[in-house]
Amino acid sequence: MKRVDRRTLLKYGAASLAAASCPFPAHAFWPGAGQKAETSGADDIRGTIFRNDAPESLWKWSKEGFSFDRLADKRVACKVCPNRCVLAPGDRSVCRSKVNMGGTLYTLAYGNPSAVHVDPIEKKPLFHYKPRTKAFSIATTGCSFRCLNCQNWEISQAKPHEVRHSELFPPAVVSEAIKSGSASVAYTYSEATTYFEYMIDTARLARQAGLNNLWISNGFINRAPLLELCKVLGAANVNLKSFSDDIYRKLNGGRLQPVLDTFTTLNERGIHFEMTNLVVPGYVDDPEMVKRMCGWILATLGPDHPLHFLRFFPLYKLDRLAPTPLSTLEQFRKLAMAEGIRYVYIGNIPNHEGANTWCHGCKKLLIERRGYAMPTFDITDGACRFCGTKIPGVWS
Amino acid sequence: MDGRNRLVTLVVVATGISSVVTQLLLIREFLAAFQGNEFVIALILFTWLLLGGTGAWLARIAADRRPAGTGMLAGLSLLLAGLTPVLFFAVRLLRDVFFIHGTSVGFYPTLAYTACTLAPYCLLVGFLLPYSLFTLRAGQPGYPGAFVYMMDSLGDVAGGALLSFALIYLVTPLQAVFIANVPLLAAGWLLTGPDRRFRPAALLALFAALGLLAAGVRGERRTLATSEAELVHYQESRHGRITVFKSREQYTLFSNGSPALSTQSLAEEAAHFPLAQLDTAESILLISAVGGMLAEVEKYRPARVDYVELDPAMSAAQFKYGLLQKIPGLEIINEDGRRWLSLTGRRYDAIIVSLQEPETFQTNRFFTDRFFALAKSRLAPGGILSFSAGGFESYLAEPQRLKLSILAATAARHFGNILLLPGRSTIFLCRDQPLDPDIPARLRERGIATDYISGYYEGDVTPERIGQLRDLLIAGAPTNRDESPRLMRVMFSQWFAKFATSPWAFAAVLCALTVLYLCRLRRQEFVLFTTGATAMGAEILVIFAFQIYFGYIYVGIGLIVTVFLAGLLPGAWLGNRLSGRGRWALPVTDLLLILLLAAFMLALHFGGDRLPVAFYLGFGFAVSLACGSQFPAALQLGGGGNPAAARAFSADLVGAACGTLVTSVVLIPRIGLFQATLCLIGLKAASLAVAASAREAR
Repeated sequence: MKRVDRRTLLKYGAASLAAASCPFPAHAFWPGAGQKAETSGADDIRGTIFRNDAPESLWKWSKEGFSFDRLADKRVACKVCPNRCVLAPGDRSVCRSKVNMGGTLYTLAYGNPSAVHVDPIEKKPLFHYKPRTKAFSIATTGCSFRCLNCQNWEISQAKPHEVRHSELFPPAVVSEAIKSGSASVAYTYSEATTYFEYMIDTARLARQAGLNNLWISNGFINRAPLLELCKVLGAANVNLKSFSDDIYRKLNGGRLQPVLDTFTTLNERGIHFEMTNLVVPGYVDDPEMVKRMCGWILATLGPDHPLHFLRFFPLYKLDRLAPTPLSTLEQFRKLAMAEGIRYVYIGNIPNHEGANTWCHGCKKLLIERRGYAMPTFDITDGACRFCGTKIPGVWS
Repeated sequence: MDGRNRLVTLVVVATGISSVVTQLLLIREFLAAFQGNEFVIALILFTWLLLGGTGAWLARIAADRRPAGTGMLAGLSLLLAGLTPVLFFAVRLLRDVFFIHGTSVGFYPTLAYTACTLAPYCLLVGFLLPYSLFTLRAGQPGYPGAFVYMMDSLGDVAGGALLSFALIYLVTPLQAVFIANVPLLAAGWLLTGPDRRFRPAALLALFAALGLLAAGVRGERRTLATSEAELVHYQESRHGRITVFKSREQYTLFSNGSPALSTQSLAEEAAHFPLAQLDTAESILLISAVGGMLAEVEKYRPARVDYVELDPAMSAAQFKYGLLQKIPGLEIINEDGRRWLSLTGRRYDAIIVSLQEPETFQTNRFFTDRFFALAKSRLAPGGILSFSAGGFESYLAEPQRLKLSILAATAARHFGNILLLPGRSTIFLCRDQPLDPDIPARLRERGIATDYISGYYEGDVTPERIGQLRDLLIAGAPTNRDESPRLMRVMFSQWFAKFATSPWAFAAVLCALTVLYLCRLRRQEFVLFTTGATAMGAEILVIFAFQIYFGYIYVGIGLIVTVFLAGLLPGAWLGNRLSGRGRWALPVTDLLLILLLAAFMLALHFGGDRLPVAFYLGFGFAVSLACGSQFPAALQLGGGGNPAAARAFSADLVGAACGTLVTSVVLIPRIGLFQATLCLIGLKAASLAVAASAREAR
């Protein structure tokens, strides 16, 4: 091989640099500029198990896990959500709420809500379920996802010991809900599935007391616990964060298919549920994806489940994007309705006509929504007052 | 001085010009790419200086292996010039390669990204200064190191002044980079000399560097493009980067990379929560604004609306793209809001502050005891002050709780009634007269139509939530003062909490490395280390104090930065003369620094707000003069050889790095202005003790 002397090396090096730096073709070599958002940064932000992170001992707000397998070497496998955390003794689950203590799975989120509020049911949002009623809303810490735009990250991305909480065991939740004049108990704010034990016990008591149970969730739950929940569930609002598994992994740290399975199960069990889709610019604002999503909804769930397109605002870590343009939401609403979904709403935009309910039979305005108020309400016995078409939902 | 030495000296000056311009512009780049808080600003400066110090240290190793030569110096100069635009492109474009588009980034990734992108450039800049000296000494043994230090200072002053007073007004960052590197290119090219063997390579290198600089200018706007929206406006004002993106019908203005105003945003809470409390709102002062706010304010038919926005370029863009609408009675005042309040004789029925949360010393001034007193003094009887902080929707985390408590406690010192209305933002209403939380009822009474408040307020801002928030406020929370910005500490905690991280690991590693480094230093190098730390610490203190008392005046702050550089030059000259006086040169200048800092502290304590601007400039010049004079003296004490020179450059830069970080993010936020000055005095006292016990080099 011919030896390259220093002078030649310098010459060729400088020549290559000069060619690469030519102002015109230079752009081609630079990554980043205007690249598609989906290809930026990490592809998967799913959470991991917290090794040796369990507390020394259980506390007052602990309870044995609802569903888990005991494995060799005192390991346990949680069976509530599709993360299926396999925990060695002393480990903490992805959702941060469950620990393996001596070969048994325990939840640390039982009777210790960190958020307790009374909200209008429309805030969840549930538009077709007992309108104008109040929901006694509770949440403990924890989430199975890692959404970059989480509105409640201070509790969803925290461990039970890290937050202030009140003490409200299931019977107390029910009595407080009744005292507040609420028609329902909503398991909301953080991810309700992560405090499944607390939710199911409370929901059973609430059902006995004549209260409804509302599950506001990312839908990331296994079939068996979901079937158990369905026995006492009144309604659900489940986030369909996008119709792309890649985006689920990238923005939410989750997976799409288990969420779709949840919708299927809820539909099979005849539970009233509504779907929300947060339209994140650059990620979830692709009309083709929305068409695919609507196609799946129609084919699998039918046209009657309300779908809410929500406006994105910069929040938490996803705070360097513009809000969703109004016309994108309007376009998606039209598109979904053209595909055949009957009740499509626009959310996070005050007093937009896209928040109103129109009869799918006669196309007349049935519910005019001005925020949480409803100056017009023309549904009688669950049917359109004008043409008698049955409007899907639970209206009384 | 022969022609060759003159050219090497020219390279030193040109490197100073290029590096200072690059440094100041890069701080802006990083602020636009990452979080614009004081922690990140300090982190960038720290990384820059530390890497520079490492580069200087590497120069010594390189010189040990091979004698320095002009050919290599010329090549490195051209490389440095060509590297500058690459650095800018890297900062802008690699962000979306490593981090998810649209997300903010936490402490450790910011540190890693900053260090990795800056490393090639900063190591080279740090390398070049001692290497230039070695080159000079290769031709003329015994060439004074102090002269190189002086020439570098001259370049720094020239670069700082060129950017602050000319380029920033006239050109974009990469155009500025191009201009600032022309002298370096010229000096590097001239230094290649007449040897024909190297001409083609040198010519190619020159064109490569020029090509890269030109590519920077040409591709600058493109580097800011995103896939989800169209960039319709890009301007680098003297206060930061303003970009406007159009996505369908919506325009969103980004200030330093963060969305600030949008045409479809809702300003009802910011406008109506305070104004609904008043029977008449004749005269209103808005300090900054949220999108659509003026249209909401107009519903009260005020006779006068003063809209104060510091940056003329920002207000121009806001009106141009319909983010704010011109209304009758509107006067746009491009001035620092606090300065405006201290100058105006007008009285307002309402003062509404819509600034971002206090993440920097600059914004902290709008959330302090003295600001609230000033605002109250400009309110008409029955007037109201309003501002906002982070929200409370379902849960109030501890840093947020402390933040709101500090703000409530600080405002309560001046107003009889404070009402906190929770929501996506917590709105503070401060007034001596009673405050009514039933905003929808008050709006109905006045016949003012709203979208959000009329429909959602009663479900979102419930008496239960207002009560919960009130009950969560910590009794006896400390006061946020100008001189002791407690709120900034909380903001730092909140930032770390958001990314579930802590700075303690970094602090521990940094402390361990600093101790190790200090153990290896000679006495005179320790003095230089403390001098570097004191100079940067004092500069930060002066800028901080200046902003408190005079407001954010761009030219004033530019002047302070310039005088802190300018004093180094005569200081080095003086030090060169003093160095003949042996071991007493360092203790005497250390003592002078201690006295200067003490005088600064006393002057602030007894009349900071009455001191003229000249005091701050004079102090800055005197400190930098004293600091500059120590370098030649220390070099002389160290024996003046090449290794000593490299170690001296390194100690100065590493000290400056530590001084920047510790003063900005530890001392001022934790113990306040006066105690921070005391710490610097303590540091210099330690240095004095070490310097006084030093022996002269033989």
